[in-house]
Amino acid sequence: MIGIADPIRFVIDLTAFFSIYLMLSISLNLEYGYTGIPNFGKVLFFAGGAFITGAVITRLLLIIIGLSSENYCSFNVLYASEVTKYLAENPLLSVLIFVTMLLAGCIVGGLLGYVASYPAIRLKETYLGITLLASGELLRIVARNYDPLICGTLGVSVPDVFAWIPVNVKEFVQVFIMLGIALSTWGFVEKLTRSPLGRLIRAIRDNEIAAESYGKDVVKVRTKILVLGSAIAGIAGVLYALYVRSVHADDFMPLRTFIIWVMIIIGGVGNNIGAALGSFIYVLTERLIMQYKHYIVAPFDVNYLSYIFFGIILILILMFKPKGLLPEKPSKTIEFEKIIKKLKKK
Amino acid sequence: MKTAETTLLIDAMIFGNLLVLLAVGLTLTYITLRIPNFAHGDLATIGTYVAYFMYTYLKISPYLSIPLAFLISGTIALLSYLFIFKPLADRGTGIIGLMIASIALEVVLRSSLHVYADILSETYKVISRGFLFRDYTITLGTLSLPYLFIISSALSIFLIFSFYILLTKTKFGIAMRAAIENPNLAEVLGVNVNKVYAISWFLAGGLAGIAGAFLPFRITAGPEVGWYMLLRTFASSILGGFLSIYGAMLGGYAVGFAEIIGIYFLSKPPLNISTAFRPAISFIILIITLLIVPEGLASKIKLEKISKLLKTVKRTRKQ
Repeated sequence: MIGIADPIRFVIDLTAFFSIYLMLSISLNLEYGYTGIPNFGKVLFFAGGAFITGAVITRLLLIIIGLSSENYCSFNVLYASEVTKYLAENPLLSVLIFVTMLLAGCIVGGLLGYVASYPAIRLKETYLGITLLASGELLRIVARNYDPLICGTLGVSVPDVFAWIPVNVKEFVQVFIMLGIALSTWGFVEKLTRSPLGRLIRAIRDNEIAAESYGKDVVKVRTKILVLGSAIAGIAGVLYALYVRSVHADDFMPLRTFIIWVMIIIGGVGNNIGAALGSFIYVLTERLIMQYKHYIVAPFDVNYLSYIFFGIILILILMFKPKGLLPEKPSKTIEFEKIIKKLKKK
Repeated sequence: MKTAETTLLIDAMIFGNLLVLLAVGLTLTYITLRIPNFAHGDLATIGTYVAYFMYTYLKISPYLSIPLAFLISGTIALLSYLFIFKPLADRGTGIIGLMIASIALEVVLRSSLHVYADILSETYKVISRGFLFRDYTITLGTLSLPYLFIISSALSIFLIFSFYILLTKTKFGIAMRAAIENPNLAEVLGVNVNKVYAISWFLAGGLAGIAGAFLPFRITAGPEVGWYMLLRTFASSILGGFLSIYGAMLGGYAVGFAEIIGIYFLSKPPLNISTAFRPAISFIILIITLLIVPEGLASKIKLEKISKLLKTVKRTRKQ
């Protein structure tokens, strides 16, 4: 490829970030596209997963190994590399830790989602948007200033749970696992939206009062969806922390929420293929900018230019193509002929 | 009074004044299209950079660049209404769509300011992030008052009175209230609703610009400074009921005082909480308001009730 220094590295990074953003955009699509909950605090749940990984993984492993975690914040890089060495020799423990972390992220995300659902059910869209946005900022402020969590502004480094795999295939395996998790989430959400629950959430989105008058518990369903979506975001946060190998509070600005919204609005609200397309377009653009950044001579950081570009694109899409590139389609049903055949057989 | 406490009160008053300027603007835009404008903070940041530019290049005191900050921020707010929010609303975009658009605008403005700050530091070799303005003080007897205290207080008081006169005594103000109360009915009666809304947006942006020009006196400013104020502004506006301009004023002072005085006591020995947690106070106010009195403080204070109360007090005294 022209101009890309390391094509393999590029593809690995692209796939990794695509997997993470795919999970986030699919879960936001589940919340907003299908259920109509405007989650402007997506980064909160993503950060939840990343923070729990950053806070727990090294300390937990130090306890398992039997080392002390004294002066954790000052020496966390050292501790993390020490732990990585240990993990390289213990494949079983590595896998176990990986799964534990995924579960922890899922639980933390789900719990945060449950807490957030309390106002989410009671407030109007406007207030809910403000509250969720503000909650995301609050978690970041706390993480930034409360050192025991993820060492405040310094950030914390995360050990490599894939260190036991031979170096030449390690990253492929890691990215493959990430993509696998992301795609299975997609499959799960797709399946969910076609189930009776999927029809119910769309009914709630389209007409809450009508759904309620049919005896559906709107509050309960919304809570369920928010917990589910947040749990997915939590898992994405864990994968992110394990891939980037460090967690910094300032990495979780509300800008991330905006990026995920860009993805689903560009791709098409209420259509998972659209969400996937949107995340692919965004991640590809972002990675390409990172690659070509050094060639562009400008008296400013080019990243800002890409944010300006995406902001303008988002407004234009809202204006001229509000349903996105791939609009929502009626949910797939069994083919008509098949139904007739089945009926005839009977 | 001890000096420490006096400075504390002065600080709280200044912070309250700044929040009033911001919250009145936010409320003013909210009552037109019913969208919370997430880009409001960045309109303030534009004011900050206007003042900073004038300060560094022309050596003009930030106080003198207030009119320019007002004009530029106001114009940008007006343009965003005319070219983004109005067309979107006309096309039937829902509240969530408009909120997304305002977040997009926020990102565009903030990133543009970052680009501007980068250009400033790259080409002109000046500090463009984390700057402060130096203020002067006036000494009145034993009190030493910063200029900012006098000017921002005077401006806030002026604002309160001028809004009162505007909304109750002028034809435009009455048209404005009508357009806000019931746009369709006002339109039928010959009020140019679009013009009223446009002026509201301009005023809102302008007020944010003024607040922005004042911000570097108190907070180290950069392209993110408006964003940091946004949460507090929302807390103030929502505490005030989000639909009432006077509510926003009340909310601004309440949040300003709660934050400054609150953190002063919280960071003292028994609790020793880091002052970095200051924004959490506004956040807690926001959450509590939304969950307990979502209609805001202004709705709880009824003028008739107060006058009735006064009457009963008078009666009991007579008896």
